[in-house]
Amino acid sequence: MFVAAALVATSCASDEATDAPADTGETDTEEPSTADGTAATPPASDPDASADAPETGSSIEQLTIAISGDESTLNPYTYVTGYPGLNLLGLVFDGLLALDADNEPQPALASDWTVSDDNLVWSLNLRDDVVWHDGEAFDADDVAFTFDYVAENTQSNWTPGVAGVASLEVTSPTSVDITLTEPSVDFAVRPLASMPILPEHVWSGVTDPENSGVDVSIGTGPYSIASYDTGQSYALDANTDYALGTPVADTVLLAVIPEPSTAFAALRTGEVDMVSSIVEPQLVAEFESDADLAVQTGPGFGSTQVNFNNERAPFDDPEVRRAIGLALDPQELIDSVLLGTGTSPNPGFLHPDGPLSQGVVTHEFDVDAANALLDELGAELGDDGVRILDGEPMSFDLLVYADNPTRIRSAEIVSEQLDAVGISTSITSLEPAALDAQVWPGFDVNEGRDYDIAMWGWSPSAQLDASRYAALFHSDPAIGTLNVTGLVDPDMDALLDEMLAAQTPEERDELIGSIEERVAEVRPFVVLFYQDGAYAYRASTFDGWVFQNGQGPLGKLSLVSN
Amino acid sequence: MTTTLRRAGLTLGVLLMAVALNFVIPRLMPGSPIRAIAGGGDVGELTTAQRNALLDRYGLNDSLWVQFRDYLTGLVRGDLGTSLGDGRPVSTHIGERIGWTLLLVGTALLVTTVVGVFLATAFTTSRRRNVDTGGMTTSIAFDALPPFWVGMMFILLFGVTLGWLPTFGATALVGGGGVVDIAKHLVLPASTLILTGLGQTYLVTRSSLIAVMGSTHIAHARVRGIPERRLRYGHTLRAAALPIHTLVLLEVGWLISGAVVVETVFAYPGLGRLVFEAVEARDYPLLQGSFLLLTVTVIGANLLADLTYPLIDPRTRVSS
Repeated sequence: MFVAAALVATSCASDEATDAPADTGETDTEEPSTADGTAATPPASDPDASADAPETGSSIEQLTIAISGDESTLNPYTYVTGYPGLNLLGLVFDGLLALDADNEPQPALASDWTVSDDNLVWSLNLRDDVVWHDGEAFDADDVAFTFDYVAENTQSNWTPGVAGVASLEVTSPTSVDITLTEPSVDFAVRPLASMPILPEHVWSGVTDPENSGVDVSIGTGPYSIASYDTGQSYALDANTDYALGTPVADTVLLAVIPEPSTAFAALRTGEVDMVSSIVEPQLVAEFESDADLAVQTGPGFGSTQVNFNNERAPFDDPEVRRAIGLALDPQELIDSVLLGTGTSPNPGFLHPDGPLSQGVVTHEFDVDAANALLDELGAELGDDGVRILDGEPMSFDLLVYADNPTRIRSAEIVSEQLDAVGISTSITSLEPAALDAQVWPGFDVNEGRDYDIAMWGWSPSAQLDASRYAALFHSDPAIGTLNVTGLVDPDMDALLDEMLAAQTPEERDELIGSIEERVAEVRPFVVLFYQDGAYAYRASTFDGWVFQNGQGPLGKLSLVSN
Repeated sequence: MTTTLRRAGLTLGVLLMAVALNFVIPRLMPGSPIRAIAGGGDVGELTTAQRNALLDRYGLNDSLWVQFRDYLTGLVRGDLGTSLGDGRPVSTHIGERIGWTLLLVGTALLVTTVVGVFLATAFTTSRRRNVDTGGMTTSIAFDALPPFWVGMMFILLFGVTLGWLPTFGATALVGGGGVVDIAKHLVLPASTLILTGLGQTYLVTRSSLIAVMGSTHIAHARVRGIPERRLRYGHTLRAAALPIHTLVLLEVGWLISGAVVVETVFAYPGLGRLVFEAVEARDYPLLQGSFLLLTVTVIGANLLADLTYPLIDPRTRVSS
């Protein structure tokens, strides 16, 4: 028992785990924690203690998190949403590297890594103290297996990331050399820092990964799936053998609550301890006034933007898109829709606090300039106050998701701002899948598009790696997989190709700066704002939430203490 | 006997029509099931070939005619197909949910019918005008209440403010599943359905009673000195039972589908939510399966209503 108590003291030495249960508070001895979190190895003299230790190794017994939808069997081929699905996936699986709160890659299953001078060979040393949830040891063969598996089973988020791998050589049970076909500055972010490593002994038998059951959702992560009740809940148990830190809760329960109002009510009753949905700006004060609750805020990387169909007149003319950009006032939207809780837009798309933005361009709002530009284009004001361009009234449908109040309010203000320059829009709110079918039919840019203007947004992942940034603008559908505006601009393509082939981070950053300028110039869309994240939680249960810049607090950074 | 046969033939025709519509309508909705099929992948990054391979696996690139033929062949064998989302059989999905829906809506339907009919009879036949008017006005107001709003109010009052009842789910996350636990989770969603459903039962019962109350046989019964209580429940209500019987059986369709809103508000794992999720994901087989179940239930309830009329009302008996 003494050993068990000492272990608690060890875990309490970290900042995150300050809420130790009262019964362990007696042990005031400040045991030095071992450097790499391998403290969970008790002295060999007391074998019984090692069995007891896990239960007291965490500071919270149970933490319940409300999520808005089912995430299927929570493995790399089945999870449903980018947020919170991908974050929850990180509780079960580990990558070779992991992003820290500032989105910089840090060691994870790989303890360190080096890159050759020609930027082609990545040599990674792996930890030797990691075991899978089923007790098997993790080694370099699992890494090799995962790279092969992801390359072969293409419907994974990481397949594009491993496409540039020429070969992977297992140099020892704890080291691999990965050779790339071309240098890739982003290789550390994707795939290394996000691709979950799969257990070869389990996944070599998985032939239908996207329909795989929870029985193969076995990772090395800080929590293992103890039970899954389809559409209702998950129970995740702390992985007591976790080598990369200490899980903060013995059990993390995920409750599927589709209606946010209900989830927030359950937070107030104490039935849940954290809600993964964002708190609407007007409700933040209400939660902060409750002594047991708190709201954590931070920048959100998700964008809200006005997309033009760049293929359809008059939006095929960059001057028209520029004029609309000048007519839109993001500050009014941030003040009235977000009550100030948002970041002003970078017309080059990238969030100013994100890892890629060079901060070279700013949004220009100038109604007079917008009017002058439209006059210059020959768009005369008609009797009804709507401009007529090339014989057609400038009157368009503005599509917006019917289930997103923030987007709808934004669309209303955008519509008013466009009225002021003689452009008329009628807001059409559509069920999400129906809107997607017009803007991004089949989620395949090869299938074209059928809309005038649409309220749109990209999730935080588009801010994190440069290949996704390039995917927004490249006219080649194989690269421009996210080019839903249908932009075709040879200068842009050239810049993007150059940037993707950059040898060093410095070279790439400089090119990203040029791309941001070009985006601001050709204006395939107008970014309006990036809404801040605001997440409510029960501080009396757990107060150690770590806000990952741009992404939010739900994930490994919060639920593992080091 | 020929009547029964004709009715059976008609029912079969309606069923076949419904099967065809259940197949066509989901496919007419704009939107693609590819996101549901691909699971965790960033669906935008799939190449056209990879995309087609996925669609091929579920036969979604076949012509509609071939897909329909496959669907019918499956149905004949009793196979509803597999969900595009997770590859599990549609019947498994429905099986997981149907119990909760039957419990929730069954309870609500039972209480709504008993309470609604009783209140309507008591108030309408009270022969006091203000009682009748008050009852009617209240039930019209209840009938107009939006279930979402009522559910939210219940959650805030009984969950948050008073702390008496759980706010979400069908069982507790840990150690749930006992009778008391299930009952506690049932109270708020069932009450929401009851409160918002009571009005309709009340109004139908009332109008049916009023028609009967004016008839001569009730006047005669009263003259014969039959006690008021027996007059109300034995004579008036008995004669007015037919429309109520029809309403209740029609509402059996509601057993399967009608609780979408309430199930969403209370995170109750019933069929309504399953249908809603299937629509969002464009999960065609799951939509076909659950709509088929709904259709069969409604048709079955109608048939049952038709066949049981003679038991309730001798006037509808056909001499054979």
